Amino acid sequence: MSRIGVFVCHCGENISRTVDCERVAEAARKLTGVAYATDYKYMCSDPGQGLLKKAVAEHNLDGIVVAACSPRMHEKTFRKAANAAGLNPFLVEMANIREHCSWVHEDKEEATAKASEIVTMLVERVKMNKKLQPITVPVTKRALVIGGGIAGIQAALDIADAGHHVVLVEREPSIGGHMAQLSETFPTLDCSQCIMTPKMVDVANHPNITLHTYSEVESVDGYIGNFSITIRKKARSVDMDKCTGCGVCMAKCPQKKIPNSFDKNLGMRPAIYVPFPQAVPNTPVIDRENCTYFKSGKCGVCAKVCGPGAVDYAQEDQLVTEPVGAIVVATGFELYSIAEKPKGSMIKGYGEFGHGKIPDVIDGMTFERLASASGPTGGKILRPSDGKEPHSVVFLQCIGSRAREKGISYCSKICCMYTAKHTMLYHHKVHDGQAYVFFMDARTPGKGYDEFWRRSIEEENAVYIRGAVSRLYQKGDKIVVMGSDISLGIQVEIEADMVVLATAVQPRTGAELLAQKLGISYDKYNFYSEAHAKLRPVECATAGVYLAGACQGPKDIPDTVSQASAAAAKVMTLFARDELEREPIVAKVNDKFCVACFACRKVCPYGAVEEKEIRDRQGNLVKVVAYVNPGVCGGCGTCQATCPSKSVELDGYTDEQIMAQIESLG
Amino acid sequence: MTPKNVLNYSYYPGCSLHASGKEYDESTRELFKSLGIGLREVPEWLCCGATPAHNVDELLSLSLCAKNLELADGVEGDLAVACAACFSRLKTAQHKLEGNEEKKQQVEYALDAPLHLEKPVKHLLEILAKDYGLERLEEAVRKPLAGMKVACYYGCLLTRPPEVPELDCTEAPTIMERVIGAAGAEAVSWSHRLECCGANFTLSRPGVVLQLSGEILASARRAGAECIMVACPLCHANLDIRQKEIEEASGEIYNMPVFYMTQLLALAAGVSPSRLGLESMIVSPLGLLKEKQLI
Repeated sequence: MSRIGVFVCHCGENISRTVDCERVAEAARKLTGVAYATDYKYMCSDPGQGLLKKAVAEHNLDGIVVAACSPRMHEKTFRKAANAAGLNPFLVEMANIREHCSWVHEDKEEATAKASEIVTMLVERVKMNKKLQPITVPVTKRALVIGGGIAGIQAALDIADAGHHVVLVEREPSIGGHMAQLSETFPTLDCSQCIMTPKMVDVANHPNITLHTYSEVESVDGYIGNFSITIRKKARSVDMDKCTGCGVCMAKCPQKKIPNSFDKNLGMRPAIYVPFPQAVPNTPVIDRENCTYFKSGKCGVCAKVCGPGAVDYAQEDQLVTEPVGAIVVATGFELYSIAEKPKGSMIKGYGEFGHGKIPDVIDGMTFERLASASGPTGGKILRPSDGKEPHSVVFLQCIGSRAREKGISYCSKICCMYTAKHTMLYHHKVHDGQAYVFFMDARTPGKGYDEFWRRSIEEENAVYIRGAVSRLYQKGDKIVVMGSDISLGIQVEIEADMVVLATAVQPRTGAELLAQKLGISYDKYNFYSEAHAKLRPVECATAGVYLAGACQGPKDIPDTVSQASAAAAKVMTLFARDELEREPIVAKVNDKFCVACFACRKVCPYGAVEEKEIRDRQGNLVKVVAYVNPGVCGGCGTCQATCPSKSVELDGYTDEQIMAQIESLG
Repeated sequence: MTPKNVLNYSYYPGCSLHASGKEYDESTRELFKSLGIGLREVPEWLCCGATPAHNVDELLSLSLCAKNLELADGVEGDLAVACAACFSRLKTAQHKLEGNEEKKQQVEYALDAPLHLEKPVKHLLEILAKDYGLERLEEAVRKPLAGMKVACYYGCLLTRPPEVPELDCTEAPTIMERVIGAAGAEAVSWSHRLECCGANFTLSRPGVVLQLSGEILASARRAGAECIMVACPLCHANLDIRQKEIEEASGEIYNMPVFYMTQLLALAAGVSPSRLGLESMIVSPLGLLKEKQLI
C-alpha cells in the first residue's frame, strides 16, 4: 500500500480564487493510498517546502503530488525539497491546477471538481513511479557564439577570458555588426568605431577564439554539453593564410561601381573587397555575383597583382564540424523597410511615404553612415539625391513601431534616443540647420538618457512636435512633410531638405530558420524567446542555448553588452563542472519484445536510437535490437507512441501509468 | 463568346449623376454599351444619404443605403456604382451592419422589411480592372489616348477608410493608373492623388476649397499633367467648376480639363465625342483633345 502525500497550493490567490483548495485536499485525503493531504498559501516558499519535508518524515511518505503550477515552473523546486528530506526526487509529481485549471476557468464549483480530478490522476500515476538516478554526461567546455556584432563579441571575449575555447561564427566577411556602422553613441557621444574596433582586434588575437567569418551555421546536432555544429564556410576566393591584407587587389579591381551595403549603398566598392577599412579579419572576399571573372571568365586582375598569390578562384564552400557544449545566439537585428511588402506579409510598408522611393527620405542607419567620420561623405551631412547640405531635416519616430496597422505593435526602444542624438550630430555639423522631430512619446529610461534628450531640445535647438505624419511627397527639390501637432491641435506642413525615418527594429531575415535548426522558440515577430521573461532572461527553454542582444528583442548597446556578459556567465556556470546531471526521464527498450523494425529511429528527433547486438554466451549473434542512448534521449516519448510492438517505454510515463491516470477518471 | 464573358450589372447612378454630374452618367452608359457590358438601372432608387445623413443620423444613413441594397436585389448582377461618395456610403452600410445584430434590428424596424445586404457593391474601376479585365480593355481600345498625360485623382473616398472600400491599397493605390494606362494614356506620378479637394465646404466655406483644390491643380501641373481624371462628381465640381475662381484667387492660370474616367475611356473605346457631355465641362477639353487628334 502506497503512502502518498498531497500538497495543494493556493498560489496566493492565483489558484484559490477559482479553486477551493481546502476541499481539494480534503477529497485527496479520501483517495486510496494517500496517507496525508494538506493545503497551503505558498507551497514554493520556504515554510511551504518545510511543510513537505516535515510530512515526508512524520508520515513516512513514499510518493508526493504537489497540486500547484506547471511542472515547468516548480517541479525542480519540490523534487529538490523531497531529495533533502531523503525521498527519491522522481517520486514527486506536479498536478497542474493553475495553468490547466484555475487560470482558464471561471466557475468555482466546476474548477474545484476538475482540480480534484487532476490530483486523482497524478496520485494514480505516482503510485507507479520508480526511483530513478540522475544520468551524468560529460561537458565539452567549448562554446559556439553565433553572430559577430557587439553582443557576440562581448560574449565571446568573456567566455574566452575565463579560459574556455570559443567558436565565433559571423555571416558577413567581417565581424563588427551594426555597431561598426554607427557614428557616435548615446548618451555620451563617444565614437562607436573607437570603442568597437579594439574589441574586434581582441577577438582576432585571442588565443581562445576561433573565428569563422563569411560563414553560417549549417546544422546543429546533440544536446546541452555535447553539441556538434556543422559550419558552412562560404568560399571567400582568397586564401586567408596567404593574404597579407595589403589591399592591392582592391585598388586594381576594374569593377568599382558596386553599391556598398555597409554604407547603406551610399558609397561604392570593388568586386574584391573588405566591407570597411577596419574590418576583422582584414582579408578581402570576392563578390562572385558582381565579379567580371566569375561572370564572363575574363579579367583575373586581382590574381595577377596579388604578391603572395592568395587569390583562389577555384575555392569552394567548406563544411567544418565543431564540438561545443553551449551556444550563445547573438544574431542581432535589421531595420523595417518602408518599401512595398509582398502580399500576405504581416508587415505593410508605407504607401503614404511613397514606399521609400523619394531619394532623400532615408532611415536612421543611413544617417549614421552620413554622420560617420569613416562614412561615404567623410562625416559631412550631405543628402543622397544631389550631395547638397540639407538646411532643414525632419526626423520621424515610430516608423513601423507601435503601429499595429503596419504589422508591429511593439516599441523599438532605441529610436527616441538615437533620434535625439541625430538632431545633435546634425546641429554640430550644420550650424544653421534646423532639425524637427515628430514623436508620439519620448521614451528615455536609462542612465543619463533623459538628460541627453532634454539637451537636444534645450541646447541643440531641435524642435519636437508631438504628432504623426500622414504623408511625404517630393515638391521640386524639397520634401513636403504633412503632419499634425496634437499639442496645439493644428496641422503642420514643413518643407524639408531631407527626412530621416526611425524605422522599427526587427529580427534578422531568416531568424526563424536558425531557430528551427537550434530547436529554440520564437515569437510572432521572430524574436527569440527567453525561458522566463523576468527570471531567466538570457536562457532559452532549450537547455544549453543562451541569448544575447537584439535577436531577443530591441536593445541598445548598454543592454546588449549586459545581456551578452550575462549569457557568458551562464555558459561559464555550465562549464564550471566536468559532468552534467541530466534528468533520467529517458526511453528504455525491452530487448525481448523489440522486433528491430526501427520505426523509433525514424521518428526520434534527437537521433538517440542506435542498434544493439544481442549475443549468446558463445558470442553468437542472436539478434539486433534498438537501443536508446540515454545521454542523447530528450525524453519526448515519440518512440513510445510509435513502437508497434510496445517494447519501448519512457520512465515515468509508461503505458501502465497513463492508463491508470485515465481509469482514475472513472 | 462563352457565357462567363457576358457581364451584367445592376446600376446605381445616385443623385449627382442625374444632375450636375450628368455627363458621368452618360459616358458610363456609353462606355459599358461599347464594351458589351450590361447595365440596368435600379428602379425607384433613393438618395444614399450622402454626407448630411450620416453626420446627422446614423440610422437614417444606414436605412437609406439598406433600402437601396434591397431595391438592387431585384435586379440581376452585382451593383455598379459610379459616384465615389455613393460607393463609400453603400459599402460603409454593409460594413457597419454586417455582424451587428442590434443595428440590423433597428434598420429592419425602420424599413419594416427584412434586410438584403449581400449584393456585392462594386465601383466602376473594380468592374473595369478586375471583372472585365485590363487585357480586354486594351483590346477594346479603338483610339488610344497616346501621348496624353493624365493625373489620376482618387480623392478621399475611393480607398478610405482602409477597412471599407476594398478597392485597392489605401495609401498607394494604382487602379486608376492601370485602367487609363490600358487606354494608352500616360499616367503621371504626382503628389496630391489622395488629398482632399475640400468636398462639401464648396458651399459653406468656399475659401477652403479654393486652397485645397488649388494645391491639387498646382501639383498636377508640376508633374506635367495635361488633364485630371476623376471618379467623383463632387471632386469634379470643385476642380472644374471652381477652377476659374481658383485661378483668380491664386493668380495662377491652369486651364486644366477635368474628365470623368468614363469620358476618357469611352473616347478611347471609339464612342462619338458628341455623346460624352464634353460640352458641359467648364474648362473646355476641346483644345487638348484636338491637339491629341482624339476629336
